Amino acid sequence: MTALLELTKVSKHFGGVRALHEVDMSVHEGEVVALVGDNGAGKSTLVKIVSGVESPDGGEIRVRGEARRLESPRAAAEAGIRTVFQDLSLCDNLDAVQNLFLGQERYGPVWSGRRVRRHVMEEQAQRVLGSLSVKLRALNTPVVALSGGQRQGIAIGRALISDPAVVLLDEPTAALGVSQRREVLDLIHRLREQGRGVVVISHDMKDVRQVADRIVVLRLGAKVAEFQRGEYTPSDLVSAITGAHESTDDEGGDL
Amino acid sequence: MSISTSTAAGAPPSARARVGQVFEAAARGHRSIPVLVVLAIIWAVFYSQSSAYLSFQNITNLTLQIVTTAILALGVVFVLLVGEIDLSSAVLSGVCAAVAAGLVVNHGLPLAVGIAAGVVAGMVVTFIEAQIIMFGVPSLIVTLGGMVILQGLILVVLPPEFTISVAGTPFAKIASTAVPAGASYGLAAAGTLAYAGYRLFQRRERLSTGSLSSLAAVVVPSVLVAVVLFGGVFTLTRQRGLPMPLLILAVMLLVAWYATTQTRYGIHLYAVGGDREAAQRAGIPVRRMVLYSFLVLGACAAIAGMVDSSRQLGVSVTSGAGPLMLNAIAAAVVGGTSLFGGRGSIWSALLGALVIGSISNGVQLLGLSTEVQYFATGSVLIVAVAVDVVLSRGSLLPGRR
Repeated sequence: MTALLELTKVSKHFGGVRALHEVDMSVHEGEVVALVGDNGAGKSTLVKIVSGVESPDGGEIRVRGEARRLESPRAAAEAGIRTVFQDLSLCDNLDAVQNLFLGQERYGPVWSGRRVRRHVMEEQAQRVLGSLSVKLRALNTPVVALSGGQRQGIAIGRALISDPAVVLLDEPTAALGVSQRREVLDLIHRLREQGRGVVVISHDMKDVRQVADRIVVLRLGAKVAEFQRGEYTPSDLVSAITGAHESTDDEGGDL
Repeated sequence: MSISTSTAAGAPPSARARVGQVFEAAARGHRSIPVLVVLAIIWAVFYSQSSAYLSFQNITNLTLQIVTTAILALGVVFVLLVGEIDLSSAVLSGVCAAVAAGLVVNHGLPLAVGIAAGVVAGMVVTFIEAQIIMFGVPSLIVTLGGMVILQGLILVVLPPEFTISVAGTPFAKIASTAVPAGASYGLAAAGTLAYAGYRLFQRRERLSTGSLSSLAAVVVPSVLVAVVLFGGVFTLTRQRGLPMPLLILAVMLLVAWYATTQTRYGIHLYAVGGDREAAQRAGIPVRRMVLYSFLVLGACAAIAGMVDSSRQLGVSVTSGAGPLMLNAIAAAVVGGTSLFGGRGSIWSALLGALVIGSISNGVQLLGLSTEVQYFATGSVLIVAVAVDVVLSRGSLLPGRR
């Protein structure tokens, strides 16, 4: 089975600083891959490269086996990759439907002044939010009045409007309460059930262990370890992230 | 921290919570209600002092007095919605009026050419301002400097005697034309029918996708629109028909309402004002939206200037000077448009201009001194914004969100 998204030897330098060095990563259908690492490990650089915000200096990105150049967020979206940023990028003054379709509204002909086809958008919004089991009291309240979990649901729903193959979630559970965190983890499960590839960037080891099928560990810009579900202990994970037992860890030989 | 406001989501809805929800929805959906209350209080106070205040004649005068402010405030609302501000548009309105009147009166060109030239002049000036703002200079500074430059420019545009009299020329007809009562009622009927038809069309659209939509959502707003339109025409045609400036204002409000609430452009306008970064990431051309807002402002300023000079029967160095600029900004803000962008509606221009105009009209009618007018207008501005702050935070206690 070809991977939905496959990175081979992706590198990125900022001036003299090596942000990423020959990182390989792949995401398959219906798979949740967690990307973990300490601050400065290169997680956010990798997210920016895959979401089209930055372009890599070297290496190759394949989407469904096809080499793609992700030069802009739009190009990434067209390739079927959508990113939910950590700050969610929602407009607080707009309602759920307007936020879900922001930048991809369904609208009428030019003579009508590109009149928004609100009824079509509301129907699709209900379907997408329903598929994520996000419950809203009303579709027309500004999202500022919604809970953190509901906002996350809308941000993920927005990514799904264009039916992408791969969804990137940047720190989806940061700054959420316990019950809302569970809501978001359920959302991630539902994305997997829909057969999408999911990449989750997280600091929270508990969430990662709970949700990820595979964990990719980055340290100082290089991939130092990769764990399959059930084939590691929490201490394996921590030592890979911190590099504590580097000399004895045979996967950490990159440094 | 911000999550604490959402506790109602999971809890069973108690009666009190439901009342709170209704209040919340009313405050959010109909931000104009507090302004209408303020307006009613102002009218009641002045009416108790002089019964002439609410006579048909005075109401017609009042609406004519506020037209210039309202049209300019409409342009200011567009700029405020994208999170910018403008200080130059009042003087710009004088410049545009000078251009248009100069062409029509002194060069004998047709009225339509003069009007078109005035509007183009306004849009060119705001286009240049918008370019500099997009270059990174704050709009407050650009338009402050622009205001001073335009004060110089009006001296250049005006003929050597620094005044153009438009009395008895085609230019004066802009303000002096009145639509006869019969035709005005026809317009009101057409407006009501068009509105009801549009609501019906929307209802059929919603039903076609299987969502619920009650007939009341068509009937109630349509009846309201009918009451406002027919009531307005009845009041304003007591003297000699519906004055043209009011018709111009009504058409502009209608177009602006459609553009900001029914189109993709409207959503993008509010998105840019709400969160620029998020709008940018969603692929909205933020800079172009800011430019569009300034172009709308330029056109509004030009029309406000031409209507005003046609009503005053002349253009001079003082056109667009005086309190017009601050009144227009105050009107937009009193009406409920946020200075920080993304919140407010087109109607705030009309309602705010009505509030401010009602005060100055009443003060003049009662023969009170000018300082009373300034005190009252300033206080209303502050109170209106304070009320808005309380409503948007949902509490009288300071510091909550």
